Amino acid sequence: MRQAVREKLARMSNDEQILLRPLVETSRSFYIVAGLLAAVTLWGMFAYYLQVTYGLGRTGLNRPSYWGIYIICFVFFIGISHAGTLISAILRVSKAEWRRSITRSAELITVLVIGFGAIQPIIDLGRPDRVLNVIFNAQLRSPLLWDVTSIGLYFISCTIYLYVPMLPDLAIIRDSGIKAPRLYRFLAAGYRDTPAQRARLERVIGVLSIIVIPIAVSVHTVIGWIFAMTLRPMWHSTIFGPYFVMGAIYSGIAAILVAMVVLRRAFGLQQYFKDIHFDYLGRLLLLFSLLWFYFTFAEYLTAFYGGEPGEMRAFWAKLTGPFAIPFWTMVLGCFIIPLSLMSRRSMRTPRGTLIAGIAVMIGMWLERFNIVVPTSVNPRWEIESIGQYLPSWVELSIMAATFSGFTLLYMLATKFVPIVSIWEIKEGREHSVREVADRVAEYLPESA
Amino acid sequence: MSPSRREFLWTMGAAAATVALKGAQDVFWESDESLDVGWAPGIEERRNSTCLICPSRCGIRGRLVDGRLIRINGNPLHPLSRGGLCPRGVAGVQLLYHPERLAGPLVRSGPRGSGQWETVTREQALERIAEQLGSLRAAGRPEGLALLAGYSAGTMQDLWRQFLHNFGSSNYVADEYEDGTEAVMAVMHGIDRRPSYDLDRARLVLSFGAPLFESWWSPLQAFVAFANPDAEEESGPRFVQIDTRFSRTASRAHEWVGVRPGTHAVLALGIAYVLIRDELIDADFVARHVAGFEDFVDAQGQPREGYRSLVMRNYRTEEVSAITGVPVARITALARAVAANRPAVAVCGTDVAFAPNGLLAGLAVHSINVLMGSVNRPGGVLFADDAPVGPLTSPVLDETARAGVGRGPIGTQRPVFGSGGEALRFAAAVAGAEAPIEALLLYYANPIASSTDPSVWHEALEKIPFVVSFSPFLDDTARYADVVLPDLLPYERWQDAPTPTSYPYPVWGLARPLVEPHEGAMHTGDVVLDLARRLGGSVAASLPYESFEGLLKERTRGLFAVRRGMTLGGQFEREHHRQMEERGWWLPEHTDFEAFWDELVERGGWTDLFYDHTDPYRIAQTDSGRIELMPAKLLSALAEEGSELRPYLDVATQTAADSTEFSLRLIPYRVSTLASGTLSLERWLAEQPGIFPDVLWHPWVEVAPETAHALGLSDDTLVWVVAPRGRYRARLKVFPGTAPETVCAPYGLRQPDGEPANPLRLLDSTNDPLTGLPSWSSTFVRLEQA
Amino acid sequence: MARWGMVIDLDRCTGCAACEVACKSENNVAAVSVEQADMGRASSWMKVMAHVEGEFPDTTMHFYPRPCMHCDNPPCIRVCPVQATYIDDEGIVGQIYARCIGCRYCANACPYMVKYFNWYGPEWSEAERQHLNPDVSVRPAGVIEKCTFCHHRLQKAREDARAEGRELREEDYQPACVDVCPTNAIIFGDLDNPSHAVHTLKDDPRVLRLMEDLGTQPKVYYLRPRD
Repeated sequence: MRQAVREKLARMSNDEQILLRPLVETSRSFYIVAGLLAAVTLWGMFAYYLQVTYGLGRTGLNRPSYWGIYIICFVFFIGISHAGTLISAILRVSKAEWRRSITRSAELITVLVIGFGAIQPIIDLGRPDRVLNVIFNAQLRSPLLWDVTSIGLYFISCTIYLYVPMLPDLAIIRDSGIKAPRLYRFLAAGYRDTPAQRARLERVIGVLSIIVIPIAVSVHTVIGWIFAMTLRPMWHSTIFGPYFVMGAIYSGIAAILVAMVVLRRAFGLQQYFKDIHFDYLGRLLLLFSLLWFYFTFAEYLTAFYGGEPGEMRAFWAKLTGPFAIPFWTMVLGCFIIPLSLMSRRSMRTPRGTLIAGIAVMIGMWLERFNIVVPTSVNPRWEIESIGQYLPSWVELSIMAATFSGFTLLYMLATKFVPIVSIWEIKEGREHSVREVADRVAEYLPESA
Repeated sequence: MSPSRREFLWTMGAAAATVALKGAQDVFWESDESLDVGWAPGIEERRNSTCLICPSRCGIRGRLVDGRLIRINGNPLHPLSRGGLCPRGVAGVQLLYHPERLAGPLVRSGPRGSGQWETVTREQALERIAEQLGSLRAAGRPEGLALLAGYSAGTMQDLWRQFLHNFGSSNYVADEYEDGTEAVMAVMHGIDRRPSYDLDRARLVLSFGAPLFESWWSPLQAFVAFANPDAEEESGPRFVQIDTRFSRTASRAHEWVGVRPGTHAVLALGIAYVLIRDELIDADFVARHVAGFEDFVDAQGQPREGYRSLVMRNYRTEEVSAITGVPVARITALARAVAANRPAVAVCGTDVAFAPNGLLAGLAVHSINVLMGSVNRPGGVLFADDAPVGPLTSPVLDETARAGVGRGPIGTQRPVFGSGGEALRFAAAVAGAEAPIEALLLYYANPIASSTDPSVWHEALEKIPFVVSFSPFLDDTARYADVVLPDLLPYERWQDAPTPTSYPYPVWGLARPLVEPHEGAMHTGDVVLDLARRLGGSVAASLPYESFEGLLKERTRGLFAVRRGMTLGGQFEREHHRQMEERGWWLPEHTDFEAFWDELVERGGWTDLFYDHTDPYRIAQTDSGRIELMPAKLLSALAEEGSELRPYLDVATQTAADSTEFSLRLIPYRVSTLASGTLSLERWLAEQPGIFPDVLWHPWVEVAPETAHALGLSDDTLVWVVAPRGRYRARLKVFPGTAPETVCAPYGLRQPDGEPANPLRLLDSTNDPLTGLPSWSSTFVRLEQA
Repeated sequence: MARWGMVIDLDRCTGCAACEVACKSENNVAAVSVEQADMGRASSWMKVMAHVEGEFPDTTMHFYPRPCMHCDNPPCIRVCPVQATYIDDEGIVGQIYARCIGCRYCANACPYMVKYFNWYGPEWSEAERQHLNPDVSVRPAGVIEKCTFCHHRLQKAREDARAEGRELREEDYQPACVDVCPTNAIIFGDLDNPSHAVHTLKDDPRVLRLMEDLGTQPKVYYLRPRD
C-alpha cells in the first residue's frame, strides 16, 4: 500500500478504515486463491470449447436423460440468487435493523450468481449459435420463454437494487481518493449525500425493495414451472412453483451464511458479522428447514398416495432405487443436519451455521438433481427401458468452472466495493437507535 | 499523427472481437457445410429384382435416383413375399454401400493371416487362380480342388457343380442352413427333398420349434400366411408354436406351448395318442397310403410293433405331461384343435432335428401330418417342383477329370441319411491329413466365424496351400485366403433366385443389376466361366457361355418352352392363371422369347402357382409305395449300425444336467436380423438385433428371473457363458419368457470389436449319427460375472 | 382438409422391425457408433417396443411399433421456445431443423419419447452417402429430429395427383413403415375420410391409444390383441 493511500485511510473513521481496507490492500493468499480459481475457470472454458466444437455428445446426456448437470446448476444458481435481493428486500421492508451489515454481501451474491445461472441453459443448448432465435421466433406459450423474460427482468432489477444502495459508499470512496478516482467518479454518478439526495435515495430503495420481491418470487416459480408444465411423473405438480421459491430462499440463506463466515475470517469483520447475525440467520435457516420438510413431505405424500404407476416408478427410484443415496443425502443435508444444529442456540455460531449452510447447499443441489434426473430416466411408459445418466468430465469441469468463476468474481468484487454498507452502518449508529426506541415506544400502550 | 492509447486499444479490441466472431462462425457453420452431399434434382426409377440376402428370395423393388440405390422395398408381384420385406432386405442398401467393401482383388503378400495384401487387377487374380488350378490338372490330381459353398441354390450351384465335375473333383462341400427335414422325408416318403408347407391354405399350423417368423427358410412365407394380406377378411391359419424358448414366433403365434427342452417330439406323440385314442385320425388316408401303422412282420420275419401300439402303449397323456411339462388338458385340447381345424400341418424345426436323436424326433413330429392325411393335400405337406429351367450343356469329361471324379469326394464317414455337418467333416478330414486338398474355393462361406469348431478349420486351412475367397468383404475366413476376388453385391449382379422348398410353388426369381457394378469386383459366375475358358479343353467345352447373364437367359428358354406358369404378376393375374391351369388351360402370352425375357426381367421372375394334388408320386416313392411309419430303410440302418435307438421310443434329449458345475442348458438360436456372421456389418441392423430395445450391437443371453436371482446376477450384467469347451462374453438379459435353468443364446452376433460371439462354439460335439447334424440342445453351461 | 393418422394392429405385428429399418433408410436416420449406442443415443423414429407379461410358461409378449403419435394436442409444440416444432393443417407434427436451438425441452415434454436429439453430427461415410434419400434433409448436430409420417411422400403424391388432374388416393400417400410391413399390421390414411380404412378402424372396439388419459389426442391408434 502506498504511503499516500495509507495516510488518506488513516484520516477516515474507524468503520471506513476497516471496510475500505480490502479495496486497497491485497494479501498474497488472495492472489493464490484467485489464481487457482482462474485456472479452474479457464479449464471449464476449454471444456466448453470442446463441447461447442464437437457437439453436446461430449456430455453424459442421452435419451431419455435429456437434461443433466447444466439444468441442475441452472436451477441451483438461480436459487442461490434469492439470497440477496429477496432476503435483503424482505428485511428492509420489515425494518429489521440487524440487516445493516449483511445486505451488501447478499445482494452481491445475487447479481453475480444470476449471470452464472442464466448462462447454464445456453451452455445446455445443442445450437448455442441460434440462441437469438428465442427473440426472433419467440413462442410465448413456452415456459422457457417466460423464464428468459423473468430472469432478464430479475437481473436488471437486482443490478439496480445492488447499485442504488451502493451510491453513498461509492461517493465515500470517490471522496477519499484512495482508489481509481475516475472510475468512482463515474460510478458515484454525482451523489453528494445531501439531505435531499439521501431522502430521495431512501425512497427509491424503499420502492425497489418492494418491486423486487414479486419479481424474485416469479423467477423461481417460473423455473419450477419449466418442469411442472410437462406431463412427466413427479414433475407435473402444482406445488412446484412455491416449492422452488421456498427452496431458493433456503439455499440463498445458506449461501449468505457461508459467504459471511468466509468474509468475516478473510477481512477481519468480526465487528460487523456478529454472533447475533448468525443467531438470527440460523433461526431463519431453522424455519426454512422445517418449511422444506413440509413442502417435500407434501410433494412426496401426494405422489405416493395417488399411486399412479408412472409416478411410483420415479418415486421408488428415489426412495429405495438407484437414487436412494442422493435422496437420503438430500434429506440429511436439507433437514436433519440444519434442524439438529440450528435448533440449539449453542450451535447458531459462525462455525455451526457454516456447517449447516454447507449441508444445506449440498442438500439443495442434490434436491435439484433428484428432481431432474430420476424423472428423466424413468419414462412414463412402463415398457420403455430405464435410462442412466453419468455426467462426463466436460460437464463436471463446466460445473466446477461455474462455481470457481462465481467465487472469483465475488472475490474481485470485494476489491471494488465495501462488502458491508458503510453508510447504512453509519446511519444505524446515528439515527436508527433513536428511531427504534421511538418505534418501540409507539407499539406500547401509553403509560398511565 | 500517432494514435492515442485509447484509439489503439479500441482498434485492437475491435480486431480481436472480429477474429473471435469469425472463429465462432467457423465452428458453428463448419458442421453445416459438411452436410452438403451435393444433391440436385435427379432421375428417379424403380426396378424389380430379387433379394439374395437369405434363402427366402423375396421380391424386391429398388428405388434408384441417378443410378444410386436409395431404397429397397418389396415387389408386390412376387407371390411369396407379396410386397412385404424383412429388415435385412430393407437394410441391403447398407450392404451395397458399405465402407468396408473391398475395393478390388487382393493377393496375400505376407504370411497367412498377417493382413498383408497386395492389390491386383482382376486379370492378375484370375491368372493366378487359373495357374494354380491348371497345375492341379496337369499333375493329374484334379480332386485336390474343393469348393465350400454357402446357400447358393439355382444356377450358381449348378454352374459350380458342373465346373468341378468337368475339372475332375467331387468335392462340392455345402455349408448352408439345414433343418434335417429332407432326411425325414427321405426315410418316410422315399422322396429325397425338403418338404413344402402349404401355410396359406392350412387352418392350423403346428410348429415344433420352427422359427417361422424369425429365421426359417422364409419368414415372409409365414408372415404372408399369418396376416393373409390378400384376403378381405382375416382368415389365416391358427399358429401354434411348440417351443422351449419364448421366441418372437412363440409370442406372436396364436398359442405358445412351452415344453421342456428336447421334448418336442414326446409332445407330438402325446398328441398322436389322443388322436388315435379318440379316433380323430384320417383313417381312410392311413389305410390307403400308410404302412407301419399296425403291427407287422419285418423282413427277417420278426413280428414288430407298429406305430399305433408303440404310441398307445408309451405315450399316455399323463406320461407325456410328466416329461414335457405340458398339462394333460392342454395336450388333449391341442389334439382336438388339430382334428377340428383341418387341414392342419405340423412343421418340424431345427430345435427338433438338431438333437442326438433328431431324425427319430423328426419322424415323430411328421407322423402327425401322416395321421391327419395332411400330405399332398391343400394346406398340408407338399412336394413341390423345381422351376423347369433349361439344363446346362451336357458335361464332357476328359481322362483327367474322369480319373479325379472316380476317386470320389474326400472324407470317408458319411451319415446314413442326409448330409448334415458336411463342412465340418470335410475340415476334419483335411486337418487329419488323410485328404490332400491343394486348393480351396470359398463361395459365401465363412467357416471361421460360423463353424461350431473353428479350430478344426484353422488346422484345415493350414494344410491347404491355396485358398481363394470370393467374399466382397474381408471376412474372418477371407483373411486366411491367398487370393480374394470379391464378388459383386446382390444389387449389381445377375442371378436366379428360386424360392426355398418350403414354398409349395416354384418361383424362379431373377436378381438383376440395379446399379452399375463395382469396378473392383467381378461376378463369381463370370469368374467360373472365365476360369473354364482359361483351363481350356473339355472344361471349357462344357461351359461354352459368354457370360453368366447369357447363361441365365439361355436357361430361361426352358421356362418359355414349358407351356405353363407365368411371369410374376399381381393378385388377379395369379388367381387367373391358377384357375386356368386347374382347368387344364394355358394361354401363351408371348410370341417370342425376347419379349418373354424382357417381361420376366421387368417383373422380377417366373412362377407357376398350380400344384397337382392328384400325383401319387408326391405322396410316397418308397419300395412299398406307401408312407412308411416304420421305415424299412431306417430299421435296417439301425440294425446295421448296431444302434440301440428305436423309432418313436427314443425321441427325447437328455432332460437334466448331469453335473452341478454346468447346470444351465444352452439353447442357441438364430437372430432374424443377423442370420450370418457377415451381416452384422450393417449398422442399421446392429441397432435392432433382437426384442430388447436397449440391446444394441452387443451379444446377449436370456435367462429367467428366478435363474438370474439364484445366480445373484442382475439385468444388464456382463457375464461369461462358460462351457467345458470354452467361453464367451455376453450381456445378461433377464427375460420372463425364458424357461428356468436354461440360457437362450442368439448367434450371429459379434462383440463390438468384431470378434464373433458364437454360442455354437460351446456345443458339446454330440451329433445325430443318422443325419450327421450337430446337437444343439444337449450342452450345459454356467454363467460367471465378467 | 385431411387429418392423417395411423392404425397399428397388435395382433398382426410380429415385431420383425422391418418398419424400423425402412424408416431409417427412407429418412436418412444415421446410425451411431457402438459407444454412442451404449449411452442410449441411437435414434429410431419408429421403434418396435416389446411388452412382456407373465412368467414361463405363461408369458405373453406384444410388440408396439412406436412412431410419433402426431397428437392433435401435442405437448411438445407448446413448450418449444422458438416455434421449431409445429403441427400443420393436416395434423402432422413437424420439426424445423434450421430453427431448433437444441434445448430438448420438447423431448422432455413428450410422454411418448419420440423426439430424438443429434448429440453429434451424423456420421455418413463416403460410401454410405450414396444411399441417402435426396427427398429428406440430413440433420446437423445439436437439433431435435422426429417422425414426419414421411411428409415428403405426401408432397410428392400431391404433386403427382395434381399433375394427373385427380384427387389424392389413399394408396398414393403411405409412409415407409406402412409400405414395407410384411403382415400389413400398419394401416395409414385420412382419419376424416370415410373411404379410407383408418376412418372405420379408428372406431373399432379394439382401439387403444397410448396414454390417452393425458389428453394428447394421439393420431396413432393401436388395435389391442384379441385374446
